Amino acid sequence: MLAAKHAYPRRWPESTKRGTGPDKILPPPVADSSLLSQQGVVIMAEFPISFTLEYPYTRTLGPVIGPFLTALRDGRILGIRCGDRVLCPPMEFDPDTGETLRPDLVEVGPSGTVENWTWVAEPSRKHPFQEPFAFAQVKLDGADTTMTHAVKAVGQAAMSTGMRVRAQFREERTGSIGDVYFVPEDDARDQSIAPGEGEVEISTHLISLTYDDTLYPHAARYAQGLLDGKFIGQRISGDKIAIPGKGYDALARVMLTEADDVELATTGTVLSYTVLTPVKYRGQTETEPYLSATIILDGAGQSLTQQDIRNIPLDEFRVGMRLRAIFKPAAERRVDDVDNDWMYPSIGDVVERWEPTGEPDVALDELPESM
Amino acid sequence: MRDVAVVSYAQTPFVRSERARNEVEMLMPVIDEVVEKSGIERRKIGFTCSGSTDYLAGQSFSFVMAVDAVGAWPPICESHVEMDGAWALYEAWVKIQCGEVDSALVFSFGRSSMGETAETMTLQTDPYTLAPLGPDAISMAALQARAGLDRGLWSEREMAEVAVRSRRDALRNPEAQLKGEFDVDEILAEPYLVSPLRKHDCPPVSDGAAAAVIAAADVARQACEKPVWIRGIEHRLDSHQPGSRDLTLSPSTKAAGEAAGASSGRLDIAELHAPFSHQEIILKQALGLSDSVKINPSGGALAANPILTAGLARIGEASRQIVAGNGRRALAHATSGPCLQQNLVCILEGD
Repeated sequence: MLAAKHAYPRRWPESTKRGTGPDKILPPPVADSSLLSQQGVVIMAEFPISFTLEYPYTRTLGPVIGPFLTALRDGRILGIRCGDRVLCPPMEFDPDTGETLRPDLVEVGPSGTVENWTWVAEPSRKHPFQEPFAFAQVKLDGADTTMTHAVKAVGQAAMSTGMRVRAQFREERTGSIGDVYFVPEDDARDQSIAPGEGEVEISTHLISLTYDDTLYPHAARYAQGLLDGKFIGQRISGDKIAIPGKGYDALARVMLTEADDVELATTGTVLSYTVLTPVKYRGQTETEPYLSATIILDGAGQSLTQQDIRNIPLDEFRVGMRLRAIFKPAAERRVDDVDNDWMYPSIGDVVERWEPTGEPDVALDELPESM
Repeated sequence: MRDVAVVSYAQTPFVRSERARNEVEMLMPVIDEVVEKSGIERRKIGFTCSGSTDYLAGQSFSFVMAVDAVGAWPPICESHVEMDGAWALYEAWVKIQCGEVDSALVFSFGRSSMGETAETMTLQTDPYTLAPLGPDAISMAALQARAGLDRGLWSEREMAEVAVRSRRDALRNPEAQLKGEFDVDEILAEPYLVSPLRKHDCPPVSDGAAAAVIAAADVARQACEKPVWIRGIEHRLDSHQPGSRDLTLSPSTKAAGEAAGASSGRLDIAELHAPFSHQEIILKQALGLSDSVKINPSGGALAANPILTAGLARIGEASRQIVAGNGRRALAHATSGPCLQQNLVCILEGD
């Protein structure tokens, strides 16, 4: 493989991205008796959730795509020799035989012929133009294959198979395929492009996808519970209580219903903790060491992880310690980050602090078991 | 080669939007049904393989969560492909051919309705020279349609006729999503969505899940009254650079069909995974299907197109037709990638 792929997914509620995050309170549940599930059960409340998932990819470019994108940045288009043909965009391999090609790059274009086109009347935010444009397969002069790219034309009537187009380079070029676009040859203007510095060796590609969903019914009841200052779990096999519930019992392989919901205590025991010592980095807001604890609520079969503790001195904190959740005032409770993701359950932003109950510690060999 | 058969198939109804149930809740009844119909005890099924993508669910390791629907305690032997369930079935078939197991459960699932499906599909394209331009699935298919129109290989009317026939046939499929009687002239009078494609040339956005159980001959014969034999299953790939392909042809479908033995006997039925109307015409030509072959009695992908499930559904629908006695030999096809880039062909036969 050519690429060294490297991406960490980032995920946040869509509301945050719109810049309304800190002030935003999740809209109140919508009661709508017309919302029927497939089983005909009336869903009493619906929490709409919308989130954006981003994968910022950084890729190395290699001996063919690197020079190709370097040339684009510098206002030239390169193809690669493949037998007696020239491929543009260039490839590292002969598309017919799979054989590795020598990086024998030749300049093609800047004009070419539209072999094929389609008119995009309603562009998406991912498209190179936000006004109607054409995707076209352009065979650049000197090339034998087509480049699929965008043509900026006044309207669909200006497009036809066989028409001549010419490359135009954007003012701001980054060494990416979007540095160029095409226009009908008559609309083209001459450009003088100053070459950039160095070789383009890395490309970045931000994958950004927005999803609209609603909280599953059991998750909605759990979220509503948090807003009401309660921890709602679900009873599963072995008389254990999962928090949050999954809507089904994974061990017994059966569906759960609202009848399986259980309100848990607001008191619990520390199962483990770690001390986070902030290191300085761009955007870091923490300055002092603080605690992150795993707490199991009384009666629960599953612990709550990553609970911030800032009100108890580090040297007084211990495994087995008894704590009580003190909820924020109702108006300040938020469940924006409670979603349908099964891997990272959240308790939202509803707990003001975890306060010692003053009870004696639970002995280490008597700590409750967590799934 | 071991004789392997599809012993059962089940699916959810394919719908525009599934909101009340999560993926596991969608799958659990389907898995129950397919296992019960197979006549093989769930715990005795040797291998499980699923096809899905995290990009649909919008959450990482969504396929791990889906294993909850199968029951993974005590532990099971399990695998996953980030591909259509048809390729999960292929992996399971290879596993049985290797003699490692005698039976396998295959499933796929997804809720396309949550995300920006057409844009999500751009992630299948070249990440250096194409994906950053956002070439969505509909625009890519539109380029392919135009290439054939320009060369007189098909007409907009012929494309509309495919759509009308598919949605009429879907009337007899209770699990299909988009069905009804449409008039060719009326839909040709509609505006272009992305020219030269009109809305009717494109598949609906669909949510759903499907599952199949396959087994080697001895197990299949014992468990099942009407095993549907997999006589051949092959997949092939065309270049990922659309400009290096003739988009009006599908050489990978042709090669997969030849390797799977499509032409070694008379075919009664073909379930073709053609999400866009003109693609059925390309596939029919690539596979050399005569007019006597009944195409997509289920309504095909134009009637319901759950991403990464629609291909497995073709195999399931073809095997259902054989079990129902509507034909003896059928071809099922699955596709992936822009403009029919990757194709799988499966030849099915009743006793």
